[in-house]
Amino acid sequence: MPKLIRYPKQGQAQLVPNDWQVFRATEGEESAALTPGKVIVPFTWWTSHGAKEQYQGRALKGEISVWFAPEDDILAHRDVILAGLKLWPILAIDFPVFRDGRGYSTAALLRERFGWDGELRAIGDVLIDQLLPLSRVGFDSFSIRNDQSPDVALAQFNSVAYQFQDDWRAQRSQKQVSLK
Amino acid sequence: MYQYDEIDQRLVDDRVAQFRDQVKRRLSDDLSEEEFRPLRLQNGLYLQRHAYMLRVAIPYGLFNSKQLRTLAHIANKYDRGYGHFTTRQNIQFNWLSLESTPEILADLAKVQMHAIQTSGNCIRNITSDPFAGVAGDEIVDPRVVCELLRQWSTLHPEFAYLPRKFKIAVCASKEDRAIVAAHDVGLYLYKNEAGDLRADVLVGGGMGRTPILGVVIKRDLPWQELPNYLSAVLRVYNRFGRRDNMYKARIKILVKAIGPEEFARQVESEYEHWVESNSTFTNAEWTRVAQYFTKPAYKNLNPLSSNEILEQATSADQQAFTRWLDRNVKSHQVPGYASVVLSLKPHGTVAPGDVTTEQMLAIADLADQYSFGEIRATHEQNLVLADVEQSSLYSLWQSARQQSLALPNIGYLTDIIACPGGDFCSLANAKSIPIANDIQKRFDDLDYLHDLGDISLNISGCMNSCGHHHVGNIGILGVDKDGQEWYQVTLGGEQGLNAAIGKVIGPSFFAEDMPDVISKVIDVYVEKREPTEKFVDTVHRIGIAPFKERVYAEVKRA
Repeated sequence: MPKLIRYPKQGQAQLVPNDWQVFRATEGEESAALTPGKVIVPFTWWTSHGAKEQYQGRALKGEISVWFAPEDDILAHRDVILAGLKLWPILAIDFPVFRDGRGYSTAALLRERFGWDGELRAIGDVLIDQLLPLSRVGFDSFSIRNDQSPDVALAQFNSVAYQFQDDWRAQRSQKQVSLK
Repeated sequence: MYQYDEIDQRLVDDRVAQFRDQVKRRLSDDLSEEEFRPLRLQNGLYLQRHAYMLRVAIPYGLFNSKQLRTLAHIANKYDRGYGHFTTRQNIQFNWLSLESTPEILADLAKVQMHAIQTSGNCIRNITSDPFAGVAGDEIVDPRVVCELLRQWSTLHPEFAYLPRKFKIAVCASKEDRAIVAAHDVGLYLYKNEAGDLRADVLVGGGMGRTPILGVVIKRDLPWQELPNYLSAVLRVYNRFGRRDNMYKARIKILVKAIGPEEFARQVESEYEHWVESNSTFTNAEWTRVAQYFTKPAYKNLNPLSSNEILEQATSADQQAFTRWLDRNVKSHQVPGYASVVLSLKPHGTVAPGDVTTEQMLAIADLADQYSFGEIRATHEQNLVLADVEQSSLYSLWQSARQQSLALPNIGYLTDIIACPGGDFCSLANAKSIPIANDIQKRFDDLDYLHDLGDISLNISGCMNSCGHHHVGNIGILGVDKDGQEWYQVTLGGEQGLNAAIGKVIGPSFFAEDMPDVISKVIDVYVEKREPTEKFVDTVHRIGIAPFKERVYAEVKRA
């Protein structure tokens, strides 16, 4: 199981146990491939399979969450997602490659526009040097790639003391100065 | 100019420490080159043909003598004794080692400089009018907005991994000296009837492989709303810009594909969630930043007439000094003052925009002595001393001349804009510098240049168009055909409010033919022009056909 860091909005970053498996469905795969236990499924898989009775049952038990791919236009699926937010214990966003920045906007939208205040996990090509910006746009959970050093990773969150933008965690630092 | 507060300084210092750690992990191979690459680019560090190149940010082109002395120190200690001013008002050093870059960044941080976001697929250094705050045709001073946007864009967490680079230019004068329409986002600032600062927002401009001029998608935006509206633009771009092909990844391709109206609609539907959000600029922030852009302590001076200025010079110097006054000295808002352009385009001897350590130190001294210690970099790769007393022009000219910085060729054919090209850049298809130098040598005749008047000649060594060839009256583009370097010529490009993209005249030429090609083009202009008609106006009036005919008839091997 990949190493997991939790960094709650108010709180310290730390390594935590991970009890969610990521299910990466390929074409034609069905329930046979869906492992037992807690599973994060692709959002597109949920839209085509989620209504089935067996999955609704598991979802109601809190065993199914979804992850979004970079190309998932979450604003275009607003209703499905708003309904799902009542069912899914956590949300995840996938980074097939760390350079693809679409997931940053997806995360910001989930926080700002969908009001999601539960766990939002970065999965996939999640590397040390992107943790800080990821944490600022709305991620509070990071399934770091296996070769990434957890100690170096944990040090990232406090590496830059101030910030020039209002983000999910804090106001921009200048506001505090201007108010002085 | 703007001075860092504790927050700015700490942020830059933290960033140096962060990069030091990244370099350490790279050198120990804990970080692969592929994964390090975007990190170093976001700190302005390129791996070029021979060495690492560091591009240092000069926000909106404004810097001071202390900073220039640090740049001179870096050139001397870590490089080969020179630096290169770029077409985006930055400076770059060509001969660095990776190991030395954390130290260089630490040196820069001590004088409130950095290399943050001078490269990479993020919001780049913001460019503006080099005559901001002093230009006679200024509508408002754009620098407060530039600085607020610099801060807002610095280490923006959501927009650090955009599909491609993102350049913002700001202009607030009657003439556009920032090629606003050739940027991913361009801002024209003005005051409305109530006296409130507003912006018109252009989007989708850019040079590169597909040159397009931006179009206005938002008018009359209150300045406080800029971070909100720009966030909406960037979010739409970040989500929907192409990522499958780096040549089609700029925002202009998205805007073109769905049309400016549809793009504006999408931005608007995002923006409605941002109006008056927490990101809105506040009056307190304006006040805090604007205090650094008050007018310097100008003296109460009587303006001097041209004759009075000229009388400062000895009779032997009169002709040369007149030429310099005519080309390199610009009008100023304040009576008794002028702005001076130091030419970094000596004829045929150095790369356009290059300055040596010695020149940097001398310019820093000139800035202290004559211009409140401030310097501006222009996108034409020259430097400006913005606040010079008219009564000091002659002594400034004498000092500048000793440093080979006083060639009176600003705006002439030899004031060539050129990228570093194939001599340095690993992206280039062809060399730029030797072409620039050969053309400068061919036209090394100030009387003739004077007769030809304003002509811009811009050279890019590849389609990335760092040399802005698309908007040169004469544009030269280096292309690679079967492993050989060729040069394609465009005519009719223009910057300013009438910005235009030049048209290709035909098949490309060998390097050694380029001076002949340019001579033929100029011959046609001289024959066909009407009295006082500028080169670019002649091109627009008669079209490119007469030029094309002459060049291809008379230049062999075409």
